[in-house]
Amino acid sequence: MDSQYEVLSPWAEADPVPLRSISPRLTDLAGKRIGLFTLTYKHASARVNSVVEKKLKERFPTLEFSRYDRNRGADFDASKDAVGGIVDPLQDSKDLARFEDWVNKVDAVIGAVGD
Amino acid sequence: MLCRDGFLPDALSAVSGKGIPGLRVVPESIPSECTVMEQVEAGVSAVLNDVIAGLLKPLTPEESATSRAVERPARIVFKGNLQEVNRFFYKRGWTDGLPLIPPTEEAVAEMLTGMDLPPDHLVIRCPPRYGKATVERIAINAVMAGALPTYMPVLIAGVQALLESRYYMGQAVSGGSWAPSFLVNGRVRNDLHINYGLGVMSPGDIANATIGRALGLVVKNIAGIRKGVEDMGNYGNPGRYSLVIAENEEESPWEPLHVQQGLNKEDSAVSVSHPASIIVTPGGGSGDTSANGLLKSLCYYIPTPGGAICLLINPTIARILAGDGWNKRDVAEFIAEYARAPLYQLSHYWVSGISIPRRAGIFQARETPGHKGMLINVRDNPMESVPKVSSPDMIRIFVCGGSYTTIAALLGGPQWVTKKVELPANWDKLVAKYRDIVPVYARY
Repeated sequence: MDSQYEVLSPWAEADPVPLRSISPRLTDLAGKRIGLFTLTYKHASARVNSVVEKKLKERFPTLEFSRYDRNRGADFDASKDAVGGIVDPLQDSKDLARFEDWVNKVDAVIGAVGD
Repeated sequence: MLCRDGFLPDALSAVSGKGIPGLRVVPESIPSECTVMEQVEAGVSAVLNDVIAGLLKPLTPEESATSRAVERPARIVFKGNLQEVNRFFYKRGWTDGLPLIPPTEEAVAEMLTGMDLPPDHLVIRCPPRYGKATVERIAINAVMAGALPTYMPVLIAGVQALLESRYYMGQAVSGGSWAPSFLVNGRVRNDLHINYGLGVMSPGDIANATIGRALGLVVKNIAGIRKGVEDMGNYGNPGRYSLVIAENEEESPWEPLHVQQGLNKEDSAVSVSHPASIIVTPGGGSGDTSANGLLKSLCYYIPTPGGAICLLINPTIARILAGDGWNKRDVAEFIAEYARAPLYQLSHYWVSGISIPRRAGIFQARETPGHKGMLINVRDNPMESVPKVSSPDMIRIFVCGGSYTTIAALLGGPQWVTKKVELPANWDKLVAKYRDIVPVYARY
């Protein structure tokens, strides 16, 4: 028990990830367009976003909404201007372009994990 | 971002790892995977003000930050006696709770003799943290686990196979409590004394115990998947301590798994998946030990696995089946066809990825009041039998275990991924050095 051990770290080094600040916040919600990001492989995600949309609309009637669903899952609502995608928008360049196009057309994004 | 309150540490770690530590996360209390709209309504209503504040409240300096201190861990992280080292590592969250061997320079140097790669050789970057799995870092975790140097080639192949598995991330962090499981084929089984006989999944074999343990520590300390932070396994899984099994190729009447997976018989290999549970059928073949009886019994006891399934069939039963003309593929096709359940038991089975609905062609997504998106029965016969396994391609068969008349199965997870084990040039000499490390039980 008295032997002394100098021990190496098992915790791996990792290259630093560049930090990105979140976007400046809105000053008010009147007439703004809110993006709703849905993880469609989590089935509650779209349901949560549906309720978020309904509740926010009740409180801020001039709000508009746009959805981005990761794929055309069960809750895909064709009546919304949703963009379909079947892969992680941050990992697939083609889908990333569509995702960025969608993001640029909204004033803020709310995501729901549904887990 | 709205997420379940218990997932808050996970959410914060995920966004921080992506370089966005300021993302505003609103914890809610909606039941996970909730299908009841009234509960979703109540949960969202309770946090609506927080959602609005997340949109409107000005950014703090921390949320606006675009730089942070770079982590540069010291090479020597601690000096102390055995107990002090163990407590230091435990308090850092670097262990699995069991005692560890101190990873000193000397111990790690010996571990590195098990592979003829330089210590700084980068095997792979492991998400979600993208920690660098260098040969040395793997060796450090292997020392902690109590592994022998000769296990290094298997550990490196294991890390590669883990990361090659398409669903590694999802399985490793999922609430589903999946356990990484490693099946070993080829000469390394005997070189390393990896058990493939009686008690193959029980403790008592240093290779089976420490190879899985070392890989578990790699997932924790290199990939950065820690219980309750990134690993949200709901009930957890004892398989996460170590679930390493070899195939009894010598007594198997069939071709080994790694050959089925496309490698040569002479190769050594590690196959990985993430089953969530293990079943063992009752003894005696449920009253019928013929090939027909054994398979019919298996069909009954297999539940819907939630992905792949690996049958563990001992050599005695394998020979009974082979003697009756069955090969591994035949068995898989039989199980996929005749392991069935009445439709009413599966009518709300929503995991479309399992593709039972697609295969059976009897479910489709349809909205019902209050239950959007459920997969529902589009025929109308609740007693109609439907397959429990989506395809014979999802079934693998691995010959191992003792001679008792039971069959076991590893249930769930993605398709098994197989990676060849690359052996160093001096392999035979290394094996000879450590070969006599085997338990010898005294009679009493």
